[in-house]
Amino acid sequence: MRVDAVTLPNVLAAQEGFHSPGIGEFEWPCIGPNFGTVFGYDVCLNKVGVFMLLAAAAIIVLFYLAFRDARLVPRGLQNAMEVGVEFVRNSIVLEVIGPKGLPYMPYLLSLFFFVFIGNLMGVLPPFLFPVNSRIAVPLFLALLSWVVFNYAGIKEQGLVGYLRSNLFPPGVPWPLYVLITPIEFVSTFLVRPFTLAVRLLANMIAGHLVLVVFFLGASYLVMNPLTVVFGIGSFLAGVVFVVFELLVAVLQAYIFTILNAVYLAGALEPEH
Amino acid sequence: MARNPDDKDQGRDYGQGSNTAWSIIGILFAGMIAWGGIGWLIDRATGSNLFLPFGILLGLGGALYLIIKRYGS
Repeated sequence: MRVDAVTLPNVLAAQEGFHSPGIGEFEWPCIGPNFGTVFGYDVCLNKVGVFMLLAAAAIIVLFYLAFRDARLVPRGLQNAMEVGVEFVRNSIVLEVIGPKGLPYMPYLLSLFFFVFIGNLMGVLPPFLFPVNSRIAVPLFLALLSWVVFNYAGIKEQGLVGYLRSNLFPPGVPWPLYVLITPIEFVSTFLVRPFTLAVRLLANMIAGHLVLVVFFLGASYLVMNPLTVVFGIGSFLAGVVFVVFELLVAVLQAYIFTILNAVYLAGALEPEH
Repeated sequence: MARNPDDKDQGRDYGQGSNTAWSIIGILFAGMIAWGGIGWLIDRATGSNLFLPFGILLGLGGALYLIIKRYGS
């Protein structure tokens, strides 16, 4: 058998019993009762479901504790939460949509905090699993946003006006609408929720896999005196990526929320 | 959209560029899906296999036109 530089680590790894992390890192068994199967999938609560409930509960508790006794000059937790609220209000809602968007601020705010805490669980012990790395979570949030921006657009412009502003972009010679309108329809109503979900999902999957690779590698490499140096290096790289993932957690929550705001802005104010 | 062009910060710039990139990819896919889908339906109805690739190319062309119209300036 020819052993080259690429297969050598794999051969050694196979002999020593190192299991490379893969998609199995994202699959979790049922916890508690199983309510049967739908399309071959178990209907039950698993670790991800528990984390989602915890994320929602954390948001409720944080906001309750911060604002139950709100002071004019905020201190402590109220101060920290106000930074988050003001960030969503000023940098997302007012910046992207304008004053018209304020009725949708509670939705965007909850969305931001849910995505943020869900992402943060990827680096926060004892969770260490980002909720948004399962397609069900970002896809549901994206479908929810689809319902919200369509509702906003139809309410603001009426069904005909909303469809016209979306399907017939201004400044196009009229024969081209035959070509453009089907593309606009697919792009706005079919592809949009999907790209929104995949953006968040792909970032969280990649981040989680990188962390798993470095820390599993570190714990495996330090076992052997010959490779202990590489183990330490792998561990340090893992620590760097934890910091990086903290940044990604905020950034992706921001991007997910701002995209929702951009879609809402498009629905509320047609292009001129 | 009510954006303030004087207001520049790192995160927003990243968000802006990244948004444009993803929108463009979305439109390209939408073009291929829309007209490729229409071509596929025609193929199914007529039993030929010519309209699907033609539709995909047509959709790509339309998507490029839309992208240049919207982002190219």
